[in-house]
Amino acid sequence: MPLDTSTTYPLTKLRLDGRRWNELRLIQAQISTNPASSGSSYLAMGNTTILCSVHGPAEGRRGDATGGSAGGSGAVVEVDVNIAGFASVDRKRRAGGSDRQSGRIASTLRTAFQSHLHTYLYPHSTISIHVSVLSADGSLLAAAVNACTLALVDAGIPMPGLLCGCTSAMSGSASTPRDPLNDFLDPLLDVSLPEEQELPYLTVATTTSVPTGADEDDDDMKVSMLTMDSKVHHTYIETMLAVGVDGCKQIREILDGVIKGSSRQ
Amino acid sequence: MAAQRQASSASQIPHISPAELSYLYTSLSLPGNPIRPDGRSPTQFRPLSAETDILLGTNGSARVGFADGTQAIVGVKAEVERTPLGIEALSQAEQEEYAAESNKKDTGSNGDGIKRGSSSGQGSWVQMAIEIPGFRDDDALPVFLAEMMREPLVESVSAGGEGGMVGGLKGRLVINRRWHWRLYIDVLLLSQPLSYPLPLLSLTTHLALLSTKLPKLKSKGEEDPFFDDDWNAAEYLYPRVKSTSTKRSSIPGSLSVHKVRPPVTLLVISVAENIIFDPNREEIAVADAVLAISVTNNTDSDGLKLLSIRTIDPPSRLTQPGVPNSENVATLGSTAAAEESVIVNPSTGEEEVLGVWRPRRGGIKRMTIAKMVKMVLEKGGVGEEVLEGLEGVEVG
Repeated sequence: MPLDTSTTYPLTKLRLDGRRWNELRLIQAQISTNPASSGSSYLAMGNTTILCSVHGPAEGRRGDATGGSAGGSGAVVEVDVNIAGFASVDRKRRAGGSDRQSGRIASTLRTAFQSHLHTYLYPHSTISIHVSVLSADGSLLAAAVNACTLALVDAGIPMPGLLCGCTSAMSGSASTPRDPLNDFLDPLLDVSLPEEQELPYLTVATTTSVPTGADEDDDDMKVSMLTMDSKVHHTYIETMLAVGVDGCKQIREILDGVIKGSSRQ
Repeated sequence: MAAQRQASSASQIPHISPAELSYLYTSLSLPGNPIRPDGRSPTQFRPLSAETDILLGTNGSARVGFADGTQAIVGVKAEVERTPLGIEALSQAEQEEYAAESNKKDTGSNGDGIKRGSSSGQGSWVQMAIEIPGFRDDDALPVFLAEMMREPLVESVSAGGEGGMVGGLKGRLVINRRWHWRLYIDVLLLSQPLSYPLPLLSLTTHLALLSTKLPKLKSKGEEDPFFDDDWNAAEYLYPRVKSTSTKRSSIPGSLSVHKVRPPVTLLVISVAENIIFDPNREEIAVADAVLAISVTNNTDSDGLKLLSIRTIDPPSRLTQPGVPNSENVATLGSTAAAEESVIVNPSTGEEEVLGVWRPRRGGIKRMTIAKMVKMVLEKGGVGEEVLEGLEGVEVG
């Protein structure tokens, strides 16, 4: 039996790990896991496991290139991503302390949360987020976004709504224009590592818009982060995005439950 | 964070005034009965929580958290690697020389040199990397800590026999003459170190190694290695023997015991005449001497054996000194010099004014080191207590 999604999926309509196209992996999360930080969280999406801790808002470092003047109008968000050597199947060790993947995740998270949080409340300060990936099995960026959101909620940093990330893919290479009469490709929700390596996928993070009035629809979602590294024909983007946004909605409910559950204790 | 990056050796120095340092030193140096800031007895450790086998993707893993919130996670991963044909590739003359040399080193053995070469591993097969937030992994502190923990690990050699490991950890990694295991130990400190992280990292590594399993070998002899798919059949890296003696059964929930255990590195400080274990950051800041002592259990007898001692640069060297009134321009003449009694510090032999902080200038008496080692090794001592406590952690 072939062990890749693009050949098995059309036959069985089941993915390698037995999920249907619209199923998320099991999400387990916990907040306040590390008492030494202002806020911390643990999040497992399938076999992807992430620990996140937040320090601050605290006074920024002196003598730093960005210190002092840069944080004048609001807090500066610093993100540090560390993918543990034992996280993937084969142990990797990169020279010098950081590699390209963790660097990209860190800069994406920084931009996403810098604009998402109400940083104007904390001028001249720094919010530093430390993300450790303990086990990597796809959707790293999405899982990191969710873990950071939980840790920031635990730290009590105000934000307009939960920022939730999710991935979606197409069950084939999707390099030719989509044919509406013979549409055999399905979108897939929440990709795992083998799917991520062979299929085109995107990561999307949504948040709720700020409630302005009583008649505001509560389910109104806003896409606030969208990244895609692989190639796909533009006719498929809309489907993938719709599935991804729907996944974010489901994750939002799960994270909501985690936050409410932990405050009850 | 910039200041922490510069701190190379014993963690960062807390911002404590000379007067506070002196107060702390005085209470810690009370003869026979030191008063520690957190009320512990000199040999008492901080409470901690531990669990093992937390990561599915590793051969062995453990998490230890101290009550102050510092946590460490260790993951051990093993890979099969081809042994460079070191001995076979040597010329005939070199082989004979090697044989003679290894016979000389190990006078008790009657095996020839080549046979010994095949059963002894190399220390470089164990790799250790420490990740501390705020530090690059080639900074001095992580590199120094990793080497300090790797050294006793690869050098501890134990006797064979049931549940024993011939050639220690290095010997255990040999599959056959052409293949061996390579062990990667990755240590992850989850928060900025609040105190010198060595004890935390060492305890976590110990537990992770105890829970490490290697797949069962199916091939025999010099064949290319071939392993059993069944993870339940996997064998522990540190072999266990069924507990038969009754004296061990005092530990609940442990059906099997380890005859050979990975070493544990303990941090010990001396303040005047007192020896203090598991110091926190403030206590290290006034220490006369800081020692990292590695011990493991002795397979031949019931006791413990000493593997290595390292001295760690005490951070008290870098603290600001206090100025005695007799030398202070602001108070000159207000106090008669005779009022200040000059005493001689029993551990350093320096002259000091009571209640005025003087940075330690280094130097430690041999008596003090001997006392530290004795306290760790003696029967019912601290080392035994720590190893017994770790045995109580449910492994596997």
